[in-house]
Amino acid sequence: MPLVALRDLYKRFGATRALRGASLELEPGSIHALLGENGAGKTTLVRALYGQVAPDSGEITVGGKPVALASPRDALELGIALVHQHSMLVPALTVAENLLLGERGAEWLPPARLREAAREILTRWGVSLDPDARAESLAVGEMQRLEIARALSRGARVLVLDEPTAVLAPPEVAELLRLLTALRDRGMSIVLISHKLEEITAVCDRVTVLRAGETVAAQPLAGLDAAQLGRLMVGDALPPPGRPPATEPGPVALRLAGVRAAGLASVDLELRAGELVALAGIDGNGQRPLEELFAGVLARESGAFEVLRPPLALLSADRQRTGLVLELSVAENLVLPEAARGGAPPVFRAGIVNATELARAAADAIARFGIRAHAADPARTLSGGNQQKVCVARALRAAPGVLVAVNPTRGLDVAATAAVREELRAQARSGTAVLLVSTELDEVLELGQRILVLFRGALLEVPAGERSREAIGRRMLGEGAR
Amino acid sequence: MTRARAFAEPLVATAVALALAGALLALLGADPVAALRALAGGAFGDSLALETTAVRAGPLALLGLGVALSFRCGIWNIGGGGQLAAGALAATAFATKSASDWPGALALPLALLAGAAAGALWAALAAALRVYRNVSEVLSTILLNFVALELVAWAVQGPLQEASRSYPQSDALPAAARLALFPGAHIAHVGLLLAAALPFAVWALLFRTAAGLRLRAVGFNPDAARYAAVSPELETARVLVLSGALAGLAGAIEVCGVTGRLFADPAGGYGFTAIAVALLARLHPLGVLPASLVFAALAAGGGAMQRSAAVPSVVVQVIEALVILFSIGFALPRREGA
Repeated sequence: MPLVALRDLYKRFGATRALRGASLELEPGSIHALLGENGAGKTTLVRALYGQVAPDSGEITVGGKPVALASPRDALELGIALVHQHSMLVPALTVAENLLLGERGAEWLPPARLREAAREILTRWGVSLDPDARAESLAVGEMQRLEIARALSRGARVLVLDEPTAVLAPPEVAELLRLLTALRDRGMSIVLISHKLEEITAVCDRVTVLRAGETVAAQPLAGLDAAQLGRLMVGDALPPPGRPPATEPGPVALRLAGVRAAGLASVDLELRAGELVALAGIDGNGQRPLEELFAGVLARESGAFEVLRPPLALLSADRQRTGLVLELSVAENLVLPEAARGGAPPVFRAGIVNATELARAAADAIARFGIRAHAADPARTLSGGNQQKVCVARALRAAPGVLVAVNPTRGLDVAATAAVREELRAQARSGTAVLLVSTELDEVLELGQRILVLFRGALLEVPAGERSREAIGRRMLGEGAR
Repeated sequence: MTRARAFAEPLVATAVALALAGALLALLGADPVAALRALAGGAFGDSLALETTAVRAGPLALLGLGVALSFRCGIWNIGGGGQLAAGALAATAFATKSASDWPGALALPLALLAGAAAGALWAALAAALRVYRNVSEVLSTILLNFVALELVAWAVQGPLQEASRSYPQSDALPAAARLALFPGAHIAHVGLLLAAALPFAVWALLFRTAAGLRLRAVGFNPDAARYAAVSPELETARVLVLSGALAGLAGAIEVCGVTGRLFADPAGGYGFTAIAVALLARLHPLGVLPASLVFAALAAGGGAMQRSAAVPSVVVQVIEALVILFSIGFALPRREGA
């Protein structure tokens, strides 16, 4: 008998049918992969399991008994915990305080006892953290492991992790997967949502695949390879992994010489028309200031920044914070940059919206990029993949001479990722100078004609003869830095 | 569905508030039906009542429009009253001191323009403080209310005081600078047409122009707006100045159309009631028209209720407060999301 079972759930949000016959069965002592494209209903399904979403119909049983989960509190009482992608810790409190926060009597414990109790919990669950460290000083992966320990210390037997590795650097991913395997061996039931097929094949025992809100497969993972999994998810064969575009670089389109700014030590970069340059690096080595520099938000302290083939378009890393205005419609988001400085034709004439042109712009983008939405839908109602397509469509509306894309496939499903990567290649083929800033090594290797590494705010070139994960990895850790 | 809700909720809020007010009246020992009937009679009962309601609704609509516009851009302009006072002061100064230097046909347009410009200038002080010194506009606009009030109080006892120097008030505005009454009307002046038309202009600005799109983008997400090459500082400054111009125009219309001269407190309670108008209107420019009528009717009917049903007009303030509370309550997001 499964420990937890969700059977035949239906859930509708307005006109969107998020779930239509989704099922999930969890056995103790197993890691369960939940796969599906963006918008397939994975997040809604796990939120139903965690009591945050009430399904319209269907049954949830725990230990064979039907239960009603009206709130996360109900779920926690039944031993079901959700580990959030973004930390729910109190930043100013220590690891020990966060662990025991809200436990009866914990606030009266003297610091030494509190530390002892925390240390005991951490050791019991195999999480190595300093109990005295403040939560805000932890790396993202450490925060996740702390949240896991906290959930376990409160009796969780079922752990749900929604894309936990999307925000982690490679060594932290390995650490997290080790912890999950250890917990599985101690009888925990773990649900892992991830887009990274190699992680899934590495640690998962069973897989449930959602497509358009419906469970289309639930089976043991043994014997399935990445290509088969991808096929289950999107329904047909994946395009073969691409190669960097074979274009001849043209004249220089973008030149940065000795650019210094807050977070950037000294950046020298020459980007040529038709060239696709990939910039690897571990998050936190200057990706954010570099993006802000291209966005015109961060002022440089010295150095030269020349766009020789304007305009420069930016695909920003955080589509919900800096990419889109979620409350505005798809159409309005598409033309927002054109509305800057008085409004540019043809959508704006003398500052006034031309409704026909606006509708045409939106229809073109929706058709060309396969955006699954209407022009008047607020961007908030779109799935992550469709939001990113809107961002791509917007960046390309300006017919940029230089295109900078920062982590453009983060959080996207396999099909959307392939579409975005192909678009970057197509841009380079049509003569745009493309700079891809990505923390994903495979993406960098797949797309970059030239590969650079961002390390502590400066760039290191990877020689053409050394294109390998290993050579890039060494530089990501600083080898060859001045 | 959401559109229907946007229409229904303010109506329900008003109805629930009136029902609760009825219950309150019954508790006070009054006959709630008679009292509410007196309230309605005072607001809509005859042509004079209707005109009174309309004349009170005019400035509320203009001020509420400015508040709605600025709130949409994430700017909390609490200074409508002060900007109205500045507008009334400038319009009076122009009309009583220099209107005679201009052709008669220009006196009124220039007086209104002076009012709008002064309101804009008054708001520009707050805008400059925000852009250059990062001073919250909530504080600066509120504090500038007091400065404007004192300025008017000084003016009507000093440079603008009537020639006879008997009361703290200005001379009557010359006829050329007065807004005409509608034919056959007792108090309803043609300035109300402006108050009725400008919401449509602001609606078009918000939803049919590049400037409106920038403004809404900044209100929802200044970071994303900045990445799209829109300057949040510039947009917020602009919207604050525009909202001040609307308030200043309301002040000019009050002196040119209603009072005919400047008194010590030209804004009365309009400044803060306008915030309630904007909230009841769901910050929609066209919504301020019915919303301003609701609050104007409560004010106009309150006096009648006190006279004929012997109910203290304070009850009207309670009703106003209830309308605001229910209106805000309905506007809060629901718990379950997508």
